[in-house]
This record gives sequence, C-alpha cells and structure tokens, in this order.
Amino acid sequence: MTTPLAEVLDGQHAAELRKAARALLKHPLLLARGPSADEFRLVRRHASELRAWFDRNTGWALQVDSGTARLGKIPARLGDATHPAREATRSAAPFTRRRYVLLCLALACLERGEAQIALGRLADQVVLEAADSHLVAAGIEFTLDRRDERLDLAAVVRLLLSLGVLRRVAGDEDAYVSGAGDALYDVERRVLGGLLATRRGPSTVRAAEWEERLAELTAETALDSDELRFRALRRSLTRRLLDDPVLYYDELDDAELAYLTRQRGFLTARITELTGLVAEVRAEGIAMVDPDDDLTDVRMPESGTRGHVTLLLAEHLAAAAGPVGTAELMRRVAELAAEHGGFWSKSAREPGAEGELVEQAVVRLAALGLVARTPEGVVPRPALARYAVGEAVVLVSRTEGAGGVPAQRKASPR
Amino acid sequence: MDETPPKPASPAEGSGSYGPFAHLTAPNVLVYRSVMRAFLVAKERFAVHLRPEDVQAALPVGIRPVELDGVVKALDSLVGWGNLRADPDTGRVTAVEDFYRKRFIYQLTREGEAAEQALSAYDEALGRRGALQAVALHDIVTQLRALLVLAAEDEPDPAKTHLALDGLVSRFAALADNARAFMGSLQRTIDLHDVGEEVFLAYKDQLIQYLERFIQDLITLGARIARLITELEDGGRIQPLLRAAAAREAADATPQEAAYAEQAAAERWAERWTGLAAWFLSRDGRESQSRLLRGRALGAIPQLLAVVRALNERRAGRSDRSADFRTLARWFAEAPDDGARHQLWRVAFGLYPARHLSVDAETLAARSARPEAASTPWADAEPLRISPQLRRTGSYERRGKPRKVEDRQEARRLLAETAAKQAAETAAARARLAATGSTRLSGLGELDPVSFRLFLRLLGDALATWRPGTTHTTAASSDGSMEIRLSAVPDGSTAEIRTPHGTFRGPDHAIEIVDLTAGAEWSDGR
Repeated sequence: MTTPLAEVLDGQHAAELRKAARALLKHPLLLARGPSADEFRLVRRHASELRAWFDRNTGWALQVDSGTARLGKIPARLGDATHPAREATRSAAPFTRRRYVLLCLALACLERGEAQIALGRLADQVVLEAADSHLVAAGIEFTLDRRDERLDLAAVVRLLLSLGVLRRVAGDEDAYVSGAGDALYDVERRVLGGLLATRRGPSTVRAAEWEERLAELTAETALDSDELRFRALRRSLTRRLLDDPVLYYDELDDAELAYLTRQRGFLTARITELTGLVAEVRAEGIAMVDPDDDLTDVRMPESGTRGHVTLLLAEHLAAAAGPVGTAELMRRVAELAAEHGGFWSKSAREPGAEGELVEQAVVRLAALGLVARTPEGVVPRPALARYAVGEAVVLVSRTEGAGGVPAQRKASPR
Repeated sequence: MDETPPKPASPAEGSGSYGPFAHLTAPNVLVYRSVMRAFLVAKERFAVHLRPEDVQAALPVGIRPVELDGVVKALDSLVGWGNLRADPDTGRVTAVEDFYRKRFIYQLTREGEAAEQALSAYDEALGRRGALQAVALHDIVTQLRALLVLAAEDEPDPAKTHLALDGLVSRFAALADNARAFMGSLQRTIDLHDVGEEVFLAYKDQLIQYLERFIQDLITLGARIARLITELEDGGRIQPLLRAAAAREAADATPQEAAYAEQAAAERWAERWTGLAAWFLSRDGRESQSRLLRGRALGAIPQLLAVVRALNERRAGRSDRSADFRTLARWFAEAPDDGARHQLWRVAFGLYPARHLSVDAETLAARSARPEAASTPWADAEPLRISPQLRRTGSYERRGKPRKVEDRQEARRLLAETAAKQAAETAAARARLAATGSTRLSGLGELDPVSFRLFLRLLGDALATWRPGTTHTTAASSDGSMEIRLSAVPDGSTAEIRTPHGTFRGPDHAIEIVDLTAGAEWSDGR
C-alpha cells in the first residue's frame, strides 16, 4: 500500500516548518549567507505561517527580507542573567562591563555612519562617544591606547561580524590589536536596523530604577479588555515555555497559574506541533523537553569532562535534601576525580581544579533551572530529580516491575 | 510741525562708503530687508513714492510692526543709511493727529537700489541649485549647424560668423556654469549637508525626473554635437570662421593695439573652440566633460535612493536608534553588577537561544507506555535514562587512540602523473585512429598496443549494436569521445590487423572513425 501523495507532502511541509521554527528559536537572527543559509531559506519559505504563529502565540514579530530573518524575541522573564553576550571565539567568555559599553557605543557610531567603516575610524568615534559625561560619571574611560582596550574593541567587532552587522572587506582585527594595521568593513544596515528587540526605544525610557527600565523596555500597551488580558497571558506563558528549560509554578502569579491550569493542554500541544518539544508535566512545573537534544545552548547530559562532572554533581545534588555548600561540592569532585579521573582531561585532574569544575557545573545547572544559588549554598530545584541515579533504594523498589532497568542504571562498580 | 527730513548719514561721502549695506548687520535685519523689498516691488509697478502706511501694508505678517511708528522708525533708519530718501508729505490728511505728526514720503535712492541689486544677485547665486539646461544643448546644436552652413560658403560673412560663434560661446558658457553649480548642489543634497529632510524629500522626485530627462538629452544631443564638431574640424573648416570672427573683433581695436589685437583675438577664439570640443569629445586620453557629467548624473540616482533609504530607516525607528544605543551604553555602565548587564543584554537585543532539557527516545517510549500523572512530583517520577557508559566515562563512545593520519601526498602525486600519462596516450591513439579516416579494416594495417586496445573497445561497442541482418551501424564509444561507423562489405574478404603482440583477423568491414573530442574543441574554439 502506498501513502497518498498529499500525505507525504503534508509530512514534508510539517517537517520543514518545524525545522524552520527551531532554527529561529535557536538563532533569532538568521542570515541568508554563511552557515545559516539553509535554515534561512526554510524560514523564508514558511515566513507567513511562522509569522502568524509567533504573533498569535508569543507576540514576537518575525521580519524576513532577502538577506535576514529576525525573530524579535522578548523574554517573559526579565531577570534571567544566564544568557550573556559571549565572545565569538572558542572561549565564548561572557562580555564584561567595558565590552557591553563599547558594543553599544560602536553600534551608535555605526548607526550614524556610512556604508563602510575602518576599525581605526570606528575606534576614534567610540573614543569620542565615550567622552559622554554620563559615562565618565559612571567611571568608564576609553582611550584605546592600551592593548587590552583594543582587544575589547576587537571582541566587540568580532561579535558584530558573527551577527552579520559587519562584513569584513580587508585586513583583520589582530593586526589592529597589535597596532600593525587596520581592517575595513561593510556595514549591513538592515541587520543593524533590526538589532534592538525592545518594544520601546531605550532613549524614550525615563525610568531611573533598574527593574523599571527593563520593564518599560518590554511594556505592552494597556490591557483594557478580558480578551487582551488573556492574550497577554497566553503569550507570556508560551514565551516561557519556548525559551526556558523549566517553568516552575511557584514563579507564576495567580492569574498566570489559573490560566495555565486551564489551558495547559492547548498551550503545550501547540508548541509540540510547531517545534517537536514534548511537555514533561510534573507537580512543580512544566519542562518542554527536546527529544532531538538540539534546541538548546547548554546540553544536559553532555559528553566531555565538564559535561561529565556536571552530570555527576547533578546526581549528587539530587540526592541532597537541602543547600549544599561549595566546599562540600569540591570535596565531592575530588572523590569523583579519584574514581573517574582516568577519563577526564588532564587539566581537570590537576589538584586545585575542583573549584573551577564546581563553578562551571553550577553555572550550567543554574542556567538549566535545575539548581538555585543562595548564600547558604547550591539548592537543588525539583526538576533536578530527573537526573537522580538508580542507586537510591527507593528507585529500585519503585521500578521492580520494569525488569533490568535499575541494574542497568547502576553503572559505577562500587 | 517739524518739517526737517531725517538726514542721510553721509550721502555726500559717496562711493567709498558702503552705508547702504549697514542694515544687514542691524538687529532688525529682516524688517529692513522686507521694507526694501516692498520698495522694489513698488518700483516694478512704477510707483516712486511710498507712505509709511503703504509700506506697513506691504510687509509680511510675521514681521510687520503692529504700530505705524515701528515702520516709520525702520524707514528713518534706512534713510539714515542712505538707502531711502525722505521727502515731506504734502498730501491732504483727514485726521488731526495725522496733521500734527511729521509726515514724509519715501523713495529709493540710487545707492539703495544698487545695494538691493547686489543683494538679490547674492541670494540668487547662493540659492541656485544649478540646473542642467537641456535647452542649451538644443541651442548649441542650432548654432553649430549655422556654422556648418557658413563654412560651406566661399566667403563666410564675418558678421554672421561672429554672431553665430558668439551665440555658441555664450550658450556654452551658461551650460558649463550651470553644470558646475549642478554638480555642487547635487553633492550637497546627497551628503545632506545643510539640507533638511523635508527639503530633500520634496526635492528628490523632481531631481530624479529632471536627471532622467537631462541624461537622455545629453546622450542623444551630446552625440549629435560631437558629430557636428568633428565635421567642422574635418579639413580645417572651422579655422577660417574663427579667423573671420577674430578679424571682426580686432577691427574695433585702437591703432596702438591693432598690431597684435587680431593675433590675440584669434588665440582666444581658438581656445574657446578647444574648450567646447573638449566638452563634447573625448580625446587625448581625457574623458569629455559631457561624459563625466553623464556619469555623475547617472551615479547620482542610486546615491539619492540610498539617501532616501537612510532617511526611511531613520524614520522607521520609533526613536533615534543612535540615541538608543547611547542610552544603552549608559545603562550598561550604570548597571549594579554583571548579572544585571546580562539581563539587559538579553532583554534589549533578544538574541538569546531557546534552552531546553533533553529527553532520549528510550525514556519517551517508556513514558508513553506508562504515562506519569501530571501531579507526580519530579522526585517521584521516573528519572531520565542515562547511558551507563556516559555516566562512567563522560563520553558515549569508547575512547581509543585516533589513527594516525597517513600522508598520501606522494601517492596522490603518482596517481595524478599516471592518469595524465594515460590520458595523453589515449588522446594520441585516438588521434591516430581518427586520422585513418574512412577505410576498410584491412586498410588499418599495423597498430601500436594503445591504439589497438582503443580500437578493440570501439569495435566491441559497434558490434554490440550489430544484429543479424545488419549491414551498417554507427556507435559512440562508451566514454563519448569517439564515434565508429561500420558497414559490412559484400565481397566476404578477411581483414588482418598486426600488432606487436600478434595478429587480429576477422571479416572485413568498411570503417570510419571520428574523434568527437577534436570536433568539440574545434567548435569551442570558434
């Protein structure tokens, strides 16, 4: 028996749409050239459908033109600090204060500038901009005479290159950093124009308090009807389910919780249909988990020394009842090193590496919403129990019916 | 009643002083200039004298003084600077207070009029956007035609010649001046220097239309002008005309100058002609002005469009984006800690990726078999199945030493060489076979091993299409490089082909071998 052609085509369409939606969620800014070209083409092909979906369910605007696709993501949860701007090199170090400031000044200069710019010229303009009295008052000073300052600017430029705001025409940044040369770029005004995702231009925000500023940047228009209020709830909840690893009920207010309780099935089904994410609904919250293990920037579990350490510490924390101090975690890493160290990278086995290993593991777990950091130590959050090991006696008794599963999970020979 | 008119400051001191320009630096310059304009307008209507009431009525609303006294004061100041003259007003009055007021009528002085002329020339020059004159191009064509007609005569009329040349030169000078001004104003517009957004947008459409029309004229008429100029220069037809014009000009010279006046005039005319020719003809490796102008005008259109786009982008932003970024820079600098900065980055730029926990197929399958209730806490639910291998070692695959990568450079080079050699041999053999042309198998005689191998393969390809009863076949070799045409011969004779390794025998056939690659190269070369 053969499948009717229409069904095959439908299946293809759904698969393409899913791929395009996932690409956008992973990279809200896609360029028509370079490594994202295939994904861009998919997004462009299904632009109208995607635009309608995102507008209805999240209120995010999707703009697609011949060169770029941009999903104007606005997070539902403003206080998330686990998504820093990162250096566009292997180290992917989070941006520092100076780099963030430099980045914005550079963008301000590019915004007013010509279609092309040389790095040296950009640097001059940034220095001029940095003389702004507010910046000086905040203790920012740029002269770009020192090498580390030029390194900061180079990092900013590399980020802009990776975003596609700049396109290198000649020269390179290293030459500029070492003071031996300069680099020339084309400015992609369309990409630059779509870079800010805020509802309001920051220059029109008058609030002085930090939280107010963030809130005003994303503020929607007044919600003066039930329908608008429900739409806002739907959008906000869908945003969180699409963006965040775990949505805990205790983070929601009453209205949100009431809406979610009633509409949970619809909300998650709609997301599953578009993205293929599967809802893991538990008493404490919802996690949209990914069977393809692809729609994320932080993987869990992951191979490699750091992923391994994170996994093993997650298991340790999952077994703990309350906050665990950093010292305790470091002790645990030292034990683990004795047991598994043979598989770890050399630098991880060196004495004194525990602190750094614990730090990166906790950062990862916190980014995934699996632990919270408190002054008392690292507190496991409910979803961390996903990574509990079969050693727990309770588990063995619970899963007796499932045959050899617990034995299989008892991996480490003791 | 005081009948003394206000005294001009120093009209007698005359030409050396620029009193009539003094009002330009006075505080109320706009009022003064409007007053003067009112007088000029009146003069065009042949009205000589104006009363203060007339002036007040003529002033534009924005700067008109409410009280008549204000106007009188301005008028008297202008009289003081020498721009106006005041004469006692002897007209009838109808109110007592008017009678008691000192009354004058005013009129422009010569100095004032000259100053106004100078100022309007100044305004015009500054305000001139520079227009490209398509009409001038037409005039130039007409004058050149007239010159051609004159040149055809044996004795060109000096007066007509001079007039035609003079007309040509003046039209041309105007065209060149305007072109220069046009280029300048175009650049100002494109760079948005001193030009407001509204002005630009209003100007844009006109400008683009205008450019299009002018470019068209320049292309069609420019070519015609160039042809006329070449025609006039051919056989030196223009020189007598230039000389005639110079002679006529020199006729007016004084006796002292007469000796070299004609020479100087001739040189001047020759230079003018060269300038004109250089404008329309590219020669001596220099591009003609008209071509440059055309290039600039053509290039201006995309530049204008870029400006339009930039303006639109600026408008599309809900606020000035440059200011937005500066504000953000300040916020980043003022942020309490790194965490706050990361939050701001995420909210303002929205470039963060989605982040999700993963689930493996095995766990999913188990879940669909035994679904958990939505009210199960995570701690009581089935945990994720994690590969024991991953748990123990931190990697999914067994680690082993990676195999050393072999250096195959040398082998690759050898292969390439062999391939090249074989290709060359085959090509040579192909050429040899094809060179035999239309012949019989028995006529092939002796073949070297490579040619023979090629021949056998070809024969095989041909015979593969051979069916019982076939007398003629055409087949292409499997690689498409050759074609063989084979036909049976009725005499039933046997053919022999000798090779160094032995002799090949079979029934004779008529054979033609064509080298298809040679044909392809040949046709490509055409």
